Amino acid sequence: MSDMGKVIRSGERVALSHYSLDAEQWEAMLAAPGATLPLLSCWADEHRVYVLLLKGDCPLMASTAVEDRRYLAPSSRFPAAEWGERVAYDLWGVEAMGASGEGQPALDEGVWEATWPLSSRPGPGGQAARPVPGRTVLPAEKSGLTGPLELSFDVVRGRVQAVSVNAGLAHRGVLHRMIGLTPEEALPLVSRMTAGGFVAHPVAFCRAVAQARGLQPGPGVRDCWMILLEIERMSVHLFDMARTARAVDAGLLATHCEHAREAIAFACAEQGVSRRLTDLVRCDGFRAGLEIVPLAQAVVSAMQPRMAQLRELQSVFAPRLKGLAVLTPTQAREFAVGGLVGRASGRSLDVRRREAGMRLDALRSTGSSEGDGAARDALRLNEIRDSLALIQRILGSIGMDDDEPAPEATQEGIGAAEGARGDIWYWVRLRHGKIEAVQARDPAVSLLSVLPDILKGELPEGLPAALRSLALSPSGVAM
Amino acid sequence: MSVFQKTGPLSVLHAFMDASRWRASADKEASVHNDMISLYVLETGGCEGCAMEVESLCGSAFALDRYGFRRVADPADADWLLVTGAMSRACVQMLERVWNAMPPGKSLVAVGACAVDGGVFGSGYATIGGLRALTQVRRSIPGCPPSPQDILLGLQRLAGR
Repeated sequence: MSDMGKVIRSGERVALSHYSLDAEQWEAMLAAPGATLPLLSCWADEHRVYVLLLKGDCPLMASTAVEDRRYLAPSSRFPAAEWGERVAYDLWGVEAMGASGEGQPALDEGVWEATWPLSSRPGPGGQAARPVPGRTVLPAEKSGLTGPLELSFDVVRGRVQAVSVNAGLAHRGVLHRMIGLTPEEALPLVSRMTAGGFVAHPVAFCRAVAQARGLQPGPGVRDCWMILLEIERMSVHLFDMARTARAVDAGLLATHCEHAREAIAFACAEQGVSRRLTDLVRCDGFRAGLEIVPLAQAVVSAMQPRMAQLRELQSVFAPRLKGLAVLTPTQAREFAVGGLVGRASGRSLDVRRREAGMRLDALRSTGSSEGDGAARDALRLNEIRDSLALIQRILGSIGMDDDEPAPEATQEGIGAAEGARGDIWYWVRLRHGKIEAVQARDPAVSLLSVLPDILKGELPEGLPAALRSLALSPSGVAM
Repeated sequence: MSVFQKTGPLSVLHAFMDASRWRASADKEASVHNDMISLYVLETGGCEGCAMEVESLCGSAFALDRYGFRRVADPADADWLLVTGAMSRACVQMLERVWNAMPPGKSLVAVGACAVDGGVFGSGYATIGGLRALTQVRRSIPGCPPSPQDILLGLQRLAGR
């Protein structure tokens, strides 16, 4: 075990993967010699600060008390923790000591009715932030994304430098709304967290709730969730490919991706479910009446005949995406960027591989280390191929039992799902059957921390294409 | 069997000729309109589901122009502003900026439940609860999210077509 892992496990175990550390242990964790464990998420409220890490392919969580509204900054060791620290300050007014960043607001644009709105001592609302003179601004409505995200940057010799990201436009305070609800009552909110994860967010949440309750979804539910996740993956990959293709004038590729995505939606509607698979996942399984086998068969039939042509068109237009928005393998590792973007940059994390009952032989795509727009697009198509294979493998042995034991009920759980855009994680703590605390981690968050590095050196007019290729979702970032 | 090969040098030509065959919507019966209505789409802080469905409608799987609508990239060219999302407080300025850039005679259309009243997100410290908190919403298309077909039908209804 790594030294950091040892330090964490020296704390008090309060749940399956959660250790409570005292101030000394927390400091020792941040200064532990040896490798730094990949950070999935960092968050804090008025009482505690948390880090969710990855040890091998398993989650490992540590927390410590916030004292006098301050805590020792995880970003001093984990660069990607900076976003969570800034969010915690904006929402709760708790301060990270020794933070690595400049402490700019993350969500609070100065237009909220109160400062630190979730704090027990909120202050009066602030003033709207004024743009810094001399900086070029890419306003949210021109970013090329489907959600609001604003960039400001300098232009040096015609190239983008020193990018700042304003992601607070999309913040809705969803997690706060879930507090005090039962998981079942909160599910409609989780199901609308972000449109790229209409299935993946609820699956990750329901897995966390099941763990907290000491339950293990049965093989039938497990396979149904897996199939829904793969259908969503194909649909979202096609959307992201189409949008990227439009941005580089590859209209023919975009056209075929759009038609294929629409064919999937049509197949879903024909089978009596919503086009984008909304509201199908339930805490105890799936919506009554869902016939997963004919749904899966209809989607495979709609998609399979289109693959050869999509492959050909993708290779024809790939040169237009060469060198676009490069994420290097080093950056992907340092910022723990997962999902498709991470896999196209040499990081192999795919949480599907740790799932009980996964038909691993269907997951053939090996990723890439190129890290540019072309690598991401090629990988999207490979993953669609794998999704089709995986669905067919599952259909061949649906409901196969693997005797996975149920965890001990600790009222706390961590759940994950590999969404189309990356690994989604939920942590929930229940009290008397209701949500006492919750945190969600969308893959867009890890991308946000490294975005200025990725976009550095791009042409200003190329930014929308770059953002589309990365498939950054503002609703996932800000929640 | 097709005379064009599925892969290789002729495949791009094949793909070009194939594009309309794959079109999902049955829009060959749509009549051609000369009085086009220009649409500008603005997402204001929701799950992006409605924005993605509008995106689908504006893509090549649907022949939007045959129904008398076209999407524009500049609000100065727009007749109707299609708003999606729950309207975060931080997005109000953006809405004003876009609305003020549109020429006179403009209309506001709320697409999806969130754009009307905040939908599942309601109002809170970060959201105002849809356009209803700012103005009377006279034109709306319900759904969570509405499908491209629903949005198209809604637009046609609002245009009196």
